[in-house]
Amino acid sequence: MLFPTLSFGLFFLFVFCIVWAASSSNEWRKILLLIASWVFYGAWDWRFVALLIGSALLNWGAAGAIWLQRDGPAGRRKAIMILGVAGNLLILGYFKYYGFFVEQLGDLLHAAGFERDLPLMQVVLPVGISFFTFQGMSYLADVYAERLAPARLLDVTLLMSFFPHLVAGPIVRGSDLLPQFAESPRLTRDMASIGLVLIVWGLFKKAVVASELSTGLVDPVFFDPAAHSRLDLIAAAYGYAVQIYCDFSAYSDMAIGIAALLGYRFPLNFNQPYRAASLQDFWRRWHISLSSWLRDYLYIGALGGNRKGFVRQCVNLLTTMLLGGLWHGAKWTFVIWGGLHGGVLALERIWDRIRPDWLPRLPRALGILITFHVVLVGWIFFRSESFDAAIAYLRGIGIAGGASEVLTPLACALIVFGFVIHFTPADLGQRLALRLRLLPAWALGLLAGATILIVDTMRFEGVAPFIYYQF
Amino acid sequence: MPSPIDLHEAPLEADGLGWTFGVILIASLFLLCANAVSLRDWIDDLPPSPVQAQAAELADQWVVLSEGLGIGLPRKMLHAEWKRAEEARFHNQKDGEGGEDSPG
Repeated sequence: MLFPTLSFGLFFLFVFCIVWAASSSNEWRKILLLIASWVFYGAWDWRFVALLIGSALLNWGAAGAIWLQRDGPAGRRKAIMILGVAGNLLILGYFKYYGFFVEQLGDLLHAAGFERDLPLMQVVLPVGISFFTFQGMSYLADVYAERLAPARLLDVTLLMSFFPHLVAGPIVRGSDLLPQFAESPRLTRDMASIGLVLIVWGLFKKAVVASELSTGLVDPVFFDPAAHSRLDLIAAAYGYAVQIYCDFSAYSDMAIGIAALLGYRFPLNFNQPYRAASLQDFWRRWHISLSSWLRDYLYIGALGGNRKGFVRQCVNLLTTMLLGGLWHGAKWTFVIWGGLHGGVLALERIWDRIRPDWLPRLPRALGILITFHVVLVGWIFFRSESFDAAIAYLRGIGIAGGASEVLTPLACALIVFGFVIHFTPADLGQRLALRLRLLPAWALGLLAGATILIVDTMRFEGVAPFIYYQF
Repeated sequence: MPSPIDLHEAPLEADGLGWTFGVILIASLFLLCANAVSLRDWIDDLPPSPVQAQAAELADQWVVLSEGLGIGLPRKMLHAEWKRAEEARFHNQKDGEGGEDSPG
């Protein structure tokens, strides 16, 4: 069930009505939200609802055990936490990385002269598994560090299953959502108006900008780079930068808007990432819930951040980003993408340290331009089917000539639009919501209906799944 | 962590739930009238069954009625304009050859 479809719209209308009708009892409200979340997830594959429940049970049980030992030996608490995290990693590892690692092991054994076939299995990847396992691990780490008290089973299960963020984030931490589950929320006009703005804006970015660029430009060029001119390759790379931003930030916007209409507050996940003047700045603006997760739990929590010297800090940065790349999927192209980001992040730190005082800092505009193009090269690896395909793509930009066959005026306009929105005031949506909340319901209803109608006339036939569903 | 739903102004004290319900109801009714084609397409894509067949027939009649009354016209016009924008090519390209290399 994809957000920008009528099926989801009808599902949401039903959930909105019954959840608010049951709001006199917070317990019933949460139970209804949980059932709705399972129905939403079960629309892909009912078998994986059991995995979701099992994963919630694991984290609830482990957090409870950690809490029971809070006056006991520190080693025991740590051991329970490690076991809980290992359980989450086992789930993730089996469903997401089993095939990849067996394949790599097979290649390694083959290279070493062992001609033995390894048991290859086609494991179906449950949608959103990377998101809910990361949520579970952060919950355990927060309870272990006593930043959070363990929650009841219903709350933990709802935290991990809540349908707005379930399949493609944002990664909402327990510390953000569990306190909100403690009492029945109240829907204000503010929340409703900004929620509607985010939903309609997300719908436009996904159904019009991302889908149009994907089907008309990016997919054909990345499918066969050798058959396209230099201009097509360059345009498709820029097009993909806009597509992935409009696709993923659209999901986040709609998730945040849907949660707001149900009375809950989700954190910011994107903040105009292509106006970043360094890669460090980029990661404070792109997929903020993942980058802050990696920073807090992996880079600082597990690896020690910058506490063990400068060389170790750089190694930690590289390790974090390599693992961040692998989080996206079991492919070498993701590892290379992570390595490129980690390497440039480390280089930025080194340059900060060795830069002579007399040398002025780069002008901000130049910083933005350089950062964006580093990100762009990363996206070519991220989007390509294989390392060889990415190299062929980059080589094609250098040598392939000829006129464009797939670049249209509409695609150009959408690419320009995708960049222009990065340089508008960051709080434009909030300013609009402040005006909309003053309108009578009938006027805003007509306005919302007319805007959705306009978006619907422009959308590509059918809706492609969000890029981040595969992660 | 900041959230896009933080508006940084004093919240309105007026009833939010009833107002939101009204907004959603009006928007849904508007779309039901002005966007009958989307409803028909969605019903056509549902798994075939006697109920689906009956709903598809009703949706077809609703499309004919809404177009007859002229309320489906804005959608039709806007969609035609968008299709024209999609088909536009630069002067050195032939019309409609853009999708030649498409994988599917």
